[in-house]
Amino acid sequence: MPPYVIPDKCDGCQGERVPMCEVVCPGNLMVIDKASGKAVCREPGDCWDCMTCTKSCARQAIQTRIQYQMAFFPGKLIPLVGTHSVTWTLIDCHGHVERFIMRTLAGEEDEET
Amino acid sequence: MNVARERVYIDADILIIGGGTAGCLAAYEARQVGGDDLKIVILEKAFIRNSGALSAGMNALNMYLNQGTPEDLVSYIRYDMCGAPVREDILLSVAELVNETVAMMEQEGLPIKKKPDGSYLNRGKWNIEINGSLLKPITANMAIKTRARVYNRVHVTDLIKVDDQVGGCVGFGVRDGKFYVARGKVVMVCAGGAAGIWRPRGQGDAHHRIWYYPFNTGGSYAMCKRAGAKMLGFDSRLVPVRTKDTYSATGTLAIGMGAPMVNAQGEAFMQEREEYIKMGGHTAPTPIRVLAYCREMENHRGPCYMDTTRGDPERVEGLKAQYLDMAPCLVLYWGCNDINPAREPIEIDAADPSIVGAHAACAGAWTIGNSRMTTVERLFVSGDALGGAPSRFISGTWTCGRLAGRSMVGYLKERRPELLGLDPAMVDALEAGVFAPLERFNRCSFYTNGDPMDGVSPGQMEARMQNIMEEYCGGRSRWFYVNETNLGIARKLINRLRREQLQYLVAADLHDLQLAWDVINRLDVCQLVVEHIDYRKETRYPGYVNRTDYPGVDEEYDCFITSEWDPNTDTLSFFREPYEQIVPGDRKCQTL
Repeated sequence: MPPYVIPDKCDGCQGERVPMCEVVCPGNLMVIDKASGKAVCREPGDCWDCMTCTKSCARQAIQTRIQYQMAFFPGKLIPLVGTHSVTWTLIDCHGHVERFIMRTLAGEEDEET
Repeated sequence: MNVARERVYIDADILIIGGGTAGCLAAYEARQVGGDDLKIVILEKAFIRNSGALSAGMNALNMYLNQGTPEDLVSYIRYDMCGAPVREDILLSVAELVNETVAMMEQEGLPIKKKPDGSYLNRGKWNIEINGSLLKPITANMAIKTRARVYNRVHVTDLIKVDDQVGGCVGFGVRDGKFYVARGKVVMVCAGGAAGIWRPRGQGDAHHRIWYYPFNTGGSYAMCKRAGAKMLGFDSRLVPVRTKDTYSATGTLAIGMGAPMVNAQGEAFMQEREEYIKMGGHTAPTPIRVLAYCREMENHRGPCYMDTTRGDPERVEGLKAQYLDMAPCLVLYWGCNDINPAREPIEIDAADPSIVGAHAACAGAWTIGNSRMTTVERLFVSGDALGGAPSRFISGTWTCGRLAGRSMVGYLKERRPELLGLDPAMVDALEAGVFAPLERFNRCSFYTNGDPMDGVSPGQMEARMQNIMEEYCGGRSRWFYVNETNLGIARKLINRLRREQLQYLVAADLHDLQLAWDVINRLDVCQLVVEHIDYRKETRYPGYVNRTDYPGVDEEYDCFITSEWDPNTDTLSFFREPYEQIVPGDRKCQTL
């Protein structure tokens, strides 16, 4: 599920020397486009779909899309990261919504759980 | 362009190449036993908190003693490799410490699922369930909090050998373009296994939708091989039979909820067909279950599935959640293909083979006793780089890393090695080699579309290599079959790429230079794979490697087969190391 960056949401992590998605990407795939100042995945086919960039983006500007050769359009999987959990929203290709709250760290529970 | 490239010199007591599952815990343990003054350095190709095979998370730890003894676990691992020789000494040392390591990682914040009585929620005999989406940050924290000096985005390309010892490594900054020269009194390679050797099933924007982490590109094996270390296990490649299209792990289905594999007729073939019952049935060794799946498909009884409808209903309900901790893409895939995993079987498929040492396969460097040191002085390995000791998985690799850390500290205390002096001319030559594909690109002329007229891109060479391996070294489209004729063609073509074509490999920028080194390293792995498969004139791991010319098991190969590379002839010499059975009993049976 390669990452695609929504231009209205990405601000290139203004003020940061290296934007978060570029910091974290295990494949060195996220870069800032010089012309627009916004992030872009330089080679979507090289992505392993670990979703680290998507989870790390403070502005939720990154959407991971499943490759069309494998599945129907449209559908979305959106992570919202909390301190001790992540809340996933799955919107399937018919628009049905499912929500999952997954624990990520031992210790105190998040307020949202 | 004659501007001197900036250099970064690093000196360490312990130099660790690869900040992953093994490397981080080796750093932690070395600090525990080696004290505050020890200088520990980790060179990491990506960003240590999120890099590597753990980057997407995992929902289980597949090495844990829920019952029985370390000997029982080793007996299981040996059985699961079809009774083939495994390094029982190494596996026992890991099995004895693995539960302690897991308890330690729980203290570090890893959420482990519990039963109502407070004990860990087991999955079968040797696994426990976790919420492991933050496995990598938690693992990396072990290295960070122990004050190992971590250099992120440094791609190590080669080890430095002085006389017969390894004294460090060289590489380049993926982002800063600097030349890195690192020395260590001891050096440990733990940079993962090798993905992307064979052609993947998905193409274009899905060509990295493969089971194994695609940025582990065989650097561990290639660097150890080029340094002259004895290597083993490249004939035991792992063939993952996983969820179709996404190639997500299936232990969640098979062990987690007891979902059997079924064919198109709904037959649970492992339990119902005589030929597979004889080979172990539902709990047959991993390669045998791969073989059975392939046979069902070849005999036109596919598609095949994991039948979740026959699984434990309570656990099936939570299936999507479990996959979110490890393979979120599968959950979206289900959502976009109208699949409800609780109500219908999940289709499976065989993926491209992977070369690994810490999952259910044996690739890696040969190590001396329980030292984790290779046959090259001062060069240690752990994780997927360590050969002959399969099925350590994450928890065993943490543990194996800890033991390597202890062993390196022991070596430092006992032998008191000094940093080796480096000949400046040698360092200059290494620098030229590291950046050669970039320099060649700078001398190219270009077509109207911007492609170089005088060179081959890393992507082009990777595709050629994958086609050769796919078609002549038993890829998934060939049902993993090989014979001498095929292997001879693979050898000829891979050698041609390695010996004559690398001079045309060009890299447009620093990212491309990484990809270029990925191809160079993968081609070294190809050589190891082709030669090791060819040397073993038998079929010891049916399903993983099926030799049509030698379909049976030959007792002559009931030993460890190691190889050593000769840089002058570019050939491998083979050796046979005796197998030492420590855990008594029939190797084709489990003691528990």
